[in-house]
Amino acid sequence: MTSVQINNVTKRFGDFTAVRDLTLDIPQGQFIALLGPSGCGKTTTMNMIAGLENPSEGSISFNGSDLSGMRLQDRNIGFVFQNYAIFTHLTVYKNLSYGLEVRRLARSEIDRKVRAMAGRMGISHRLGEAASRLSVNEMQKLAIGRSAIVEPRVFLLDEPLSNLDASFRAYMRAELKVLQREFGQTMIYVTHDQIEAMSLADKIAIIDQGRLMQYGAPLDVYNDPHSRFVANFVGSPRINLLDGRLEGESGRLKLLLDGGAEIALSAGAAAEFSRVGFAQAVTLGIRPQHIYLGDRRSPEDIGMRGRVEEIERVGPTRLAYLQVGQTRFLSVDSHDRLSTGEEITFYLRADKSLAFDLATGDRLGGRLH
Amino acid sequence: MRTPILAQIVRYAFIILACIVVIYPLLWMITMAFKPFPEWTTGSGMTWLPKQPTLQNFEFVILGHARGLAVGLDRSILWPLTASLITSICGTALAVVTGTLSSYAVARFGIMSSLPLSVLQLRLFPPLAVMIPVMVMWAFIGAIDTWWGLSLIYGIVTLPFAFWLMKTFFDEVPVEIEDAARVSGCSYWRVFYLVTLPIVMPGLATCALFVFILNWSDYLLALLLTSKDWITLPVYMSTLTSPIGGQMYGMKAALGLIAAIPPVIFGLLIQKHLVRGLTFGALKQ
Amino acid sequence: MTEMTAEPVLDKTRQRRRGYWSSVSLDGRKLGFWLAAPAVMMLIFIVIFPLAMQFYLSLTWWTPLDGVRWYRAYESFNIGDNYLRLLTDGALWAALGRTFLLMIVAIPAQFMLGLGLAYLFMEQFVGRKLFYSIILTPMMIVPAVVGLIFFLLFQSTGPVNDTFGLPVSFSWLTDVHRAMLSVIIADTWQWTPLMFLILLAGMLGVPRDQLTAGRLLGASNWQNFRKIILPRIKSVIAIALVLRTVECFKIFDVVFVMTKGGPGVETETISLFLYKKTFADLDWSYVAAIGLTILFSLSLIAACGMAYASMKKN
Repeated sequence: MTSVQINNVTKRFGDFTAVRDLTLDIPQGQFIALLGPSGCGKTTTMNMIAGLENPSEGSISFNGSDLSGMRLQDRNIGFVFQNYAIFTHLTVYKNLSYGLEVRRLARSEIDRKVRAMAGRMGISHRLGEAASRLSVNEMQKLAIGRSAIVEPRVFLLDEPLSNLDASFRAYMRAELKVLQREFGQTMIYVTHDQIEAMSLADKIAIIDQGRLMQYGAPLDVYNDPHSRFVANFVGSPRINLLDGRLEGESGRLKLLLDGGAEIALSAGAAAEFSRVGFAQAVTLGIRPQHIYLGDRRSPEDIGMRGRVEEIERVGPTRLAYLQVGQTRFLSVDSHDRLSTGEEITFYLRADKSLAFDLATGDRLGGRLH
Repeated sequence: MRTPILAQIVRYAFIILACIVVIYPLLWMITMAFKPFPEWTTGSGMTWLPKQPTLQNFEFVILGHARGLAVGLDRSILWPLTASLITSICGTALAVVTGTLSSYAVARFGIMSSLPLSVLQLRLFPPLAVMIPVMVMWAFIGAIDTWWGLSLIYGIVTLPFAFWLMKTFFDEVPVEIEDAARVSGCSYWRVFYLVTLPIVMPGLATCALFVFILNWSDYLLALLLTSKDWITLPVYMSTLTSPIGGQMYGMKAALGLIAAIPPVIFGLLIQKHLVRGLTFGALKQ
Repeated sequence: MTEMTAEPVLDKTRQRRRGYWSSVSLDGRKLGFWLAAPAVMMLIFIVIFPLAMQFYLSLTWWTPLDGVRWYRAYESFNIGDNYLRLLTDGALWAALGRTFLLMIVAIPAQFMLGLGLAYLFMEQFVGRKLFYSIILTPMMIVPAVVGLIFFLLFQSTGPVNDTFGLPVSFSWLTDVHRAMLSVIIADTWQWTPLMFLILLAGMLGVPRDQLTAGRLLGASNWQNFRKIILPRIKSVIAIALVLRTVECFKIFDVVFVMTKGGPGVETETISLFLYKKTFADLDWSYVAAIGLTILFSLSLIAACGMAYASMKKN
């Protein structure tokens, strides 16, 4: 069981800084996702853990002992490439046995382990075949099995599911979780797909342009984003982010959103803002799941009056675009009857509303109610 | 991870050793070309660099005579040089044109799918096994010791190379480009001439250089099919003797140097595509 | 009601103008046929007649010394005697043996050296391009000139003896035991770069990700090389070996210029044997028989090889 510490790591490629002063503490035995848009530095970070790159500054340690200078071969890391990097000219058996042969285990031992792993991954029937003849899904399993069989201390996976078809992806998500529990290793998983991260990880590290934006459990990241970027990146469909200004004097504050919608703040909310010290320009964040139609469910919820601009059906869910003046709210709702052009009243859940500083994107402590 | 220093040193050591082995023989010939007659044999203590470097050898072969030498040649190097040039160029032109056209036909129209393989088989046999009929045929059509006779056999013998090399280049041109041209109304020939050919031009140049090297380097065919007027440089070089001068090492070295230069230069130019040509397209670099 | 108009007349002229050649450029199959025609004709020219003539001659006793033209060779028919003769011709089999000796020593040597060099060149390092160009040079030297180079080098008064400071002055080219060795060395010098070129091209074709995956699994560079690269380039190795074997069998230029087959017949390879028989002995019908036999055997081997290769693919 190995824990991984990334200590103030910076990585530069010439003029370009891929990773900036990243510090991350990954406890042993946990499933950690590195989440972020393309080019944010998550793969570079993973490469540095594996030893494929060296940090320009800072260090990486396993269980507290620094890895600098340790060769690739000695780190005992399991790595699953995005394109699997299967040894195409060897048989499935030889692929699985590679790591064991390199460690010079006895033939019988190798055989036992290979067959066990093949059975575990469900590819026993393909053992004698050339690895290039496998289907993509089977290759995925082989890639995982090949890395897992040597019982590495840490498991690194670089967007392993992106090449799979959708149904198999869902299946593999579940499988990976089970595997991780079974093997008990620390797993570090790079992805740009927040659904994967949310469903698989014990903790998510959100990275943007080389910087760590937030590091926490999925629900924490979802409910309590520290920045506008995180709020925007996590959650499907995307959170409503509406820019606006706080107006009025303390005691009588209202939020004037671009496009005309106005939200009167309660005295308590106003007090919150003035206590925290509010910025004039504010971004309101409210998830589509937290906008509902029909009857008011809680006295604190903010009611708005607007028109139904557009309705979009995505499978069983219905997305409704509600417009107040020029301000648009996206709502995910299962309210029965809804037609375009209808004037309706909808409610924003005050307890789930978020406010961000428009300029810096930082989360503001104040709530709307 | 960088390779450890020790491994790097070992690597350089072996590579430098290889370079020495490569250069050693070449250097010997090059220095020999600049040595005067007395230094051709150990008699006077052999050394690498000529004690008295001279252009005598070159003078001799180019002009037919040189200062301080009692012997002369009935012709200068200009004859075999021209012979090599003309026959190589004409043979190359023949091979490249027919090879390109036929490989396009096979690549695009599937003509004679057995052609490629039979073309390959030609390269299997020792030429001497079939030279007698060729000599007889050539004599019959009066092609012995003529520029066109030698060019013709050169063209035929290097056709397989040109064919296979161009085929690999044609296979790399996406058919969609040609289809687009056809859809806009071009005939098949116009598509080839106006669309495909410009695209494979660099490949064509490579092919021409490659085939030229092969033709220029030929020895056996020139030996058998020429006698006096059209002997090529390599043959001329190897048969240079004189009753007085004996083996004429210096002159031969000078000739060898001159003969070796064009292929080396061209070879460096087409370095990127050497693998393609030499493996008949089985491998690319 | 039929109306006479100008149309039919114009039609005819249009048809006349559309000659065969413009239709060729419009029809794929026709164009392909004509494009390939010159090459096919050349090949037929160089294959059909020579083969027929060889076959004809091989069944006779004819030589140019007979004084008659070759097409009257039928006057000395002998069905098969030439073929029997070649089976028991000691000189022929000795020449073949020497050729095989050359191949068995030279080709593995070239392969191992080429493989070793390719291994060194796999990773990037300072000066790689320059050294690469230098090492490729011998391959591009005119073979006859290579013969000359080593002829000069191996003279008993030459530098090789000097450099190695041997007390006895060896005669490389005229010593019975060393002549073949000199030829082998010359051939290896010239063609190891070819092996190097082909093997390196194959090795660089191995995807880097796979090698990285191997290293992450704990393999050293050497283990990666043995277990990932070598199996993967099996077909490349086969190509290189086949190419070199065929060319080595045909070797002529280098040997002829270096030793002319001497001393005596020490370096007389099959090509030199045929040369001697053709020009010294003028035994043309015998050479025809030998030629055909070699053709036949090689084609057979090639066919087997290809059948084996396609069998392995499936």
